[in-house]
Amino acid sequence: MQNILIHSAEFVFAPVLLPLLGAAIVFCAKAFSRGRIAKTIEYTGAAIGLLLPWLMLFIILPNLLGGSVYEGTIGGWDKNLGILYKFDGLAWLVNFLGFSVAMAAWFYSLGAGPRGPKFTAIFLIQTAALSATIMTADLFNLFVCLEVLGISSYVLVCSSEKPGAFLASFSYLMVSAAAMIFFLVGIYGLYRLTGKLSYEGIAEALAAMDNGGGITALISLALIIAAVALRVAVMPLYGWLPDAHAMAPHAVSAVLSGVLIKTPLFALSRILIIFPAGSDAGQLMGVSGGLTALIAVIIALSQKDVKKLLAYHSVSQIGYIVCAWGAALHIGVETPAGLVLMTAAFLHALYHALFKGTLFLTVGTLIDRAGNRSVYELRRGAGILKKSGEKIPVTFISFMLAAMAIAAIPPLNGYVSKNALSYALKGRWEYVVLTLASVGTVASFIKLSLIFFPPGKNHNAIAFLENPQKVHPAMKAAELFLAILCLAGGLFSPYISKIAGSLLNQSGTVGINSIPPDLYSGGNLQKTLIITLSGAAVYLLCSTKQGKAVLKRIRERPRSFSGLFTSFALGLAGMAAWLIYRTFN
Amino acid sequence: MADRMKNNKISIFYKLQIFLAFAAVAAVLLPVFLNDSHWPVFARDYLEANGEEQTGAANIVSSIYLGYRAYDTLGETIVLLVAVSGTIGIISFTGKNLATGYNEDDFEGGNRKNRKRTVLMEVVTGKLGPVILIFGLYVMLFGHMSPGGGFQGGVVIASGIIFISLGTGGSENNILSHSGVLAKIEAVSFLLLVLASAIGLITGIGFFANPFNGNPIPPVGYIILLNAMIGLKVGAGIAYMSVAMLGDTDL
Repeated sequence: MQNILIHSAEFVFAPVLLPLLGAAIVFCAKAFSRGRIAKTIEYTGAAIGLLLPWLMLFIILPNLLGGSVYEGTIGGWDKNLGILYKFDGLAWLVNFLGFSVAMAAWFYSLGAGPRGPKFTAIFLIQTAALSATIMTADLFNLFVCLEVLGISSYVLVCSSEKPGAFLASFSYLMVSAAAMIFFLVGIYGLYRLTGKLSYEGIAEALAAMDNGGGITALISLALIIAAVALRVAVMPLYGWLPDAHAMAPHAVSAVLSGVLIKTPLFALSRILIIFPAGSDAGQLMGVSGGLTALIAVIIALSQKDVKKLLAYHSVSQIGYIVCAWGAALHIGVETPAGLVLMTAAFLHALYHALFKGTLFLTVGTLIDRAGNRSVYELRRGAGILKKSGEKIPVTFISFMLAAMAIAAIPPLNGYVSKNALSYALKGRWEYVVLTLASVGTVASFIKLSLIFFPPGKNHNAIAFLENPQKVHPAMKAAELFLAILCLAGGLFSPYISKIAGSLLNQSGTVGINSIPPDLYSGGNLQKTLIITLSGAAVYLLCSTKQGKAVLKRIRERPRSFSGLFTSFALGLAGMAAWLIYRTFN
Repeated sequence: MADRMKNNKISIFYKLQIFLAFAAVAAVLLPVFLNDSHWPVFARDYLEANGEEQTGAANIVSSIYLGYRAYDTLGETIVLLVAVSGTIGIISFTGKNLATGYNEDDFEGGNRKNRKRTVLMEVVTGKLGPVILIFGLYVMLFGHMSPGGGFQGGVVIASGIIFISLGTGGSENNILSHSGVLAKIEAVSFLLLVLASAIGLITGIGFFANPFNGNPIPPVGYIILLNAMIGLKVGAGIAYMSVAMLGDTDL
């Protein structure tokens, strides 16, 4: 045991290196062998790349809880030239989130496809890039990590081989490649001023200047923030996400929505914490997060395609997270209030990954069996699943658990994390906005849940596939695994919140708990009841003739590629102007 | 008529959009590029004084991308690997599904390999191929002391392989133009590259640390090793992609 502890500094690279090793093994299996042997090697590679790092995370957990942080330079070079890394509580949490969802999603793909060594290898590479992104402390390395993350997700999105998938992947590629060029210009700007690439090196060098780097430093920071915010898909920059997430294979959708949009956000907080202008940037991001939560839920409510509806909910839920995250950075993560906000943000990120993962997998299972993905046409989902051999309705139960979780019904995890957010944001304007967004979420999930139930009287019957495909056991296992985690996340939330709080707590103040003490008090339950009832009322309003016309208008609003780029440019200019205004006034 | 009016409307809106986007980008970027502060000199001076001594590479560029920042290079190699893999996926998908839809009768049964070939091209590429291959190997293996390196050498190797496969005229008598062989080379060199990055973890000196200290292999050995692995991987990968584009449907 002693031996392991001494060398545990090497363990922190396991989440990056083992998936890469797994991917290399899978590539070799594909090149050298066929049939059963290739399959065996492929599964071994996946186990090395997904399961082993997940287990190793628990080996280093005690050390991190004990307050130690692994940091250094990769390769042991001079810290002014080499690549700095930092594996702290934040990195552990994001890695835990990433590997849990990735494992379930890969397992699901065994049944639902896309199968094959190539998919597995690229999936593993994406997972490696996720953990590399969160543990880097070097600006150029962050660029490389985001590139690997991006390119693997473009390939995974189009691996569903649906006609729309290629276009969705292409538009995702073009928008985020354009944004990455601006990111690179941002690196240039900061390097031009300071000659350093590590976050700390840049911050120190800027602090040593008379004017703190002036306008160039602020604009460079804005360039970096805008490019990362595009990956996170907050308000003006979200346009690429719904198509990409809706067209991807279901397993990939779960990872994209659950993990991929959050990792860059938490990686960005590493930069913003140490830059003086980071607090102002956090404030603006928080505002746009709040607006995202509300606007995206309205668009989600108008959607027809079930997976697009889920994708817009991902935008909305990331809005909740960014809102609390930005407020935390604005207050300062070292203050108790900031820490509570940051913990609540992470908690919601983790819980969202679990319930949104479940939703994508279960809804994906159903639409493949039914051969229809319209939320207005598809009905009797539970019956269809029964016909495809599900004696115990695992998919249906998992779906209902996750849908109730996202609608914040107690005692599921969504109830806890949304209450934690409300508790932390109490008395601010964001509180009102997020409460309104919760009403929309309830309405939208009432609408979505109908696909599992028998049709109403006025509903036109739609023909379904005659012999729906069997539901593979691996798919059921993955759905159930995530759904149980949703339930466990709600029941054991005090412990989880405590662990998350102490991992995020770098300054050492003890006793931070972001879970409100009155979680199951009458007032909170009453509030939930009111939100749920108003959600039902909103749903009824939406199903009237006028409501449907309004939703149709929202759904068919013009969207274009040039619009995506324009909103990026304006968002970028807005961020730069805001930082300059705040610094010089 | 109504359609046309609608189109006109969109185009004005479109122009406004584009104008706004460019104005915003220009306003943001200009101050960064017009910045006239002193260039930072730390890295330049440090590398001049210590670069060759610490990494053993006379080519300072190599000492940066395979020494101080080798981890970034691993990432860029992976970008290329995934890009090649994705391209192959699209080629094989379009080959299977789209080409028939677009009435490409070549695909129905005709031999696409013999299309647009001339004797002149075959003779020239066939003779030049091996020479280019050797030059590529040189660029790859001497990257630590002369201009070049794994990426550059790899691309030259890929062109050599493409020349050879063009020169053999579709008769598959050259092992290097088989996509299966290229895939094997790519997979093995990627595996070796990942393992090479982890040598330091096993010996206890840290991730991506140089395991060679002059006893018996000089430190520069690590750069040559990485260059060779990257070169083979890049060469095989790009050649694989190009052979696929030439019409090798056996993917």
